[in-house]
Amino acid sequence: MGRHLQRDVEMPGTDRLFVVENLCVSLRASGRMMVNNIGFSVDAGEIFGLAGESGSGKTLLMRTAIGLHNDAYVSSGRIRFRQLEITAHDHGKRMKDLLGHEIGFVPQDPFSSLNPTVRIGKQIQEALQLGKGLQPGSAAARKTTLELLREVGIPEADAAAEQFPDQFSGGMRQRIVIAIALSQEPSILVADEPTTALDAHTQRKIIDLIIERSRNRNLAVILISHNLELLRQNVDRIAVMYGGQLLNIIASESVGKNLGHPYTESLFNCIPKRDMQLGDIRSIPGEPVNAGFGIKGCAFSKRCRFREDLCDVSNIPTNKAANHQFDACLVKTKAWEEPAP
Amino acid sequence: MGGTCAIAPLLQIKDLSKSFEKRYLVQTTSFSLEDIDLELFDGEVVGILGESGSGKSTLANIITRLTPFNAGQVLFRGKDITSFSPDESFKFRSEVQVVFQDPFGSLNPRFKIRTSVKEGLKLHQPHLSSGEMDGQVDDLLRKVGLDAENSDKYPHEISGGQQQRVAIARAIAVEPRLLICDEPLSSLDVSIQAQIIELFVSLLKDLNLAMLFISHDINVVGLLCDRIYVMHDGRIVESGETAAIMNSPTSDYTAKLLDSAF
Amino acid sequence: MRSLANGWIEKCAIVVAAAVIVMAIIGPHVAPHDPLAVDFRNRLVEPSWTYLLGTDGSGRDVLSRILHGAQLTILSTATVIATVLIIGCALGIFSAFVGGTVDNFLMRIADIWLGFPPLILALGFAASLGSSLEAAIWALIFSWWPTYARLSRMITVDILSRKFVASARALGVSTWRQVTHYVVPNAFDVIIIQITLDISAVMLAISGLSFIGVGAQIPEPEWGAMIAEGRSFTASGWWIVTFPGLMIFITALSFNVIGDMLRRELDPTLTARH
Repeated sequence: MGRHLQRDVEMPGTDRLFVVENLCVSLRASGRMMVNNIGFSVDAGEIFGLAGESGSGKTLLMRTAIGLHNDAYVSSGRIRFRQLEITAHDHGKRMKDLLGHEIGFVPQDPFSSLNPTVRIGKQIQEALQLGKGLQPGSAAARKTTLELLREVGIPEADAAAEQFPDQFSGGMRQRIVIAIALSQEPSILVADEPTTALDAHTQRKIIDLIIERSRNRNLAVILISHNLELLRQNVDRIAVMYGGQLLNIIASESVGKNLGHPYTESLFNCIPKRDMQLGDIRSIPGEPVNAGFGIKGCAFSKRCRFREDLCDVSNIPTNKAANHQFDACLVKTKAWEEPAP
Repeated sequence: MGGTCAIAPLLQIKDLSKSFEKRYLVQTTSFSLEDIDLELFDGEVVGILGESGSGKSTLANIITRLTPFNAGQVLFRGKDITSFSPDESFKFRSEVQVVFQDPFGSLNPRFKIRTSVKEGLKLHQPHLSSGEMDGQVDDLLRKVGLDAENSDKYPHEISGGQQQRVAIARAIAVEPRLLICDEPLSSLDVSIQAQIIELFVSLLKDLNLAMLFISHDINVVGLLCDRIYVMHDGRIVESGETAAIMNSPTSDYTAKLLDSAF
Repeated sequence: MRSLANGWIEKCAIVVAAAVIVMAIIGPHVAPHDPLAVDFRNRLVEPSWTYLLGTDGSGRDVLSRILHGAQLTILSTATVIATVLIIGCALGIFSAFVGGTVDNFLMRIADIWLGFPPLILALGFAASLGSSLEAAIWALIFSWWPTYARLSRMITVDILSRKFVASARALGVSTWRQVTHYVVPNAFDVIIIQITLDISAVMLAISGLSFIGVGAQIPEPEWGAMIAEGRSFTASGWWIVTFPGLMIFITALSFNVIGDMLRRELDPTLTARH
């Protein structure tokens, strides 16, 4: 922990690409604050995981942060993209410029994210025109389209470009969606549960593709998933959200070793894994808390084994400096602050 | 458990086939189950592993007599389920129960929890008085880890995990010998999935129950089941003891599934 | 269902609809005059304190006729709706449960039926039955049932495909109980919306048929027939057509508004159940 803290202090934001500081997201209709004081940063070329159960606010946070959400807005805090400061005030306008150029997005459902009446080659060329100004139909646009299709592993790219989306399986469609996202040569790719709608053996291929593209293009990735085990195996660092709060940012190799926030560890123990015995599964009692209920204290305290009285009343620490590692556990924080006897 | 020839299997499927077509305007999708052979003994937990479209849910519907089939035999306690007399048919309903994937969809939205759970008791234990039934409902809800105070709520007033517990309570209310679980975890949150797995484990310990556990998740199936059948494109591509399949699969498809699971 | 009536239009509609129903119940008892009594000395009297809404060409009190007419109109509408509801839903649910050829056959008949405009169909039927209010009612029942057969069949097929029906079948719940406890309660929302929207349509159809002359006959105080009769006096007695017309207008409008409101509130595609 200390080492990373130090690094942040010494080298403020040298290779930081996407920094979120004290970000709050509220609903437009009711003004209800859904996600509170989130802080994290993603380095250039880093693969970053965002984990949480449904209702934790992970998707809402990311979709709103990159300006994709119509029903929610950034109510306070700021985002730094490279040198560009984006405040709550000009967030909508600035993100419109970044999204689709610097920031690529891969949605969950590949079945509804492609236009069913347009050949996929043309869809990619349209994206190229928006991103790079290549004239659709021009030789350059065609060449780039085929290169992109080959890059995401579509067999027989020439023929595929002339086909319609419904002639492809879910996995192939997700590859096409990724190709469209890559066509803008973004520096960061946000993938929102990109494999949930796919079959098991397709899931791994798509994740592998995203990671391989990231390594080859020095592309930063924010991978949103409910599956902590999937993230642990594939990403560098994982942020864990619960009930609209950011509880933990942890290096993925530390997950499952009792180093993280109690929620991270409990969530990890819930997931059936290959070499497990039945007794190894340890569920978390109670029901998940949904974001947006203005929880006092730690949202996880009701279900936490280590709960102390302060968990219900104190505000949890927030990752103000967007440090690389972060633990919001109040019990642990207290232990650090109290001098050792 | 009891794999010897001397004991007759509780459920036996021989050369089962079914095919059907769905037509939408111009597109026709056909689907078939072919040459399914499956055995399940009393008290055993058997997994059916397959991806969407493999036919595993159709198989569940055939075993529960919700869907007809074309060829082959499905025997329950050695008797063909298509040749049941009305009495046997009714008894079969109490012996084989099913839990579905979508817990909200599997509860009648106009029934209170109590009514849903009571439905089976009313049918299969009509001699009970209303008070006795209420007592049993409370017991059942407790058994699946729900407070009795939930019994006067409607399905939309409780969470997905609680709905699934109610669906399980309703299924075990009639004291079935075979519980078919069709992707019972897929629409639940990770932490709730673990709760339901624990619930299944405790039910298997307490009740004399065989279970057919249908899932796409190789890790869950590996954890819960004694034996596994792997289905792909309407066929069983591999079957055997869990440990054998998990450690040294013989079919390429199973190997691929094992490779790609996280 | 929490905030059923939030707008003032909806509130007005509920008040008007309730008033019309109250009028239909107590109207005949509070009517100041005999609605059928001809009095040629007082024909075409303008609205006054004696005749609040004036008198018609034969000296009959318009207010009393409207009050009696309310009962006639509401009762005929209710008869039509109730009958097509029972016949249509029975056929639709039966069709969905049986499925296969029977289902196809019944639904194709309903489709062909729906191909004709209901009012034209009813007009032909009423004319052939002989012109009377009863004939108009029969004619409307005859032409309206397919709407409910189609609708209830569609809802039933949808409900039958849901897993709670599958679990009920797996428990051995009888078909009759599946209909009464699983299908009907869950179809209720959609059916009730259709009914509210149809009330105004049927009411207009009955008045329309009477106006054309194949429904209620002069001097019956049915609103449509009153307009038909008052047509020739529009220049000399504007009140004779205006007040029954106004009644038809506001009654139909308010039931329509209520139907729309119910649809907005209960439409499963608009309200998340979770």
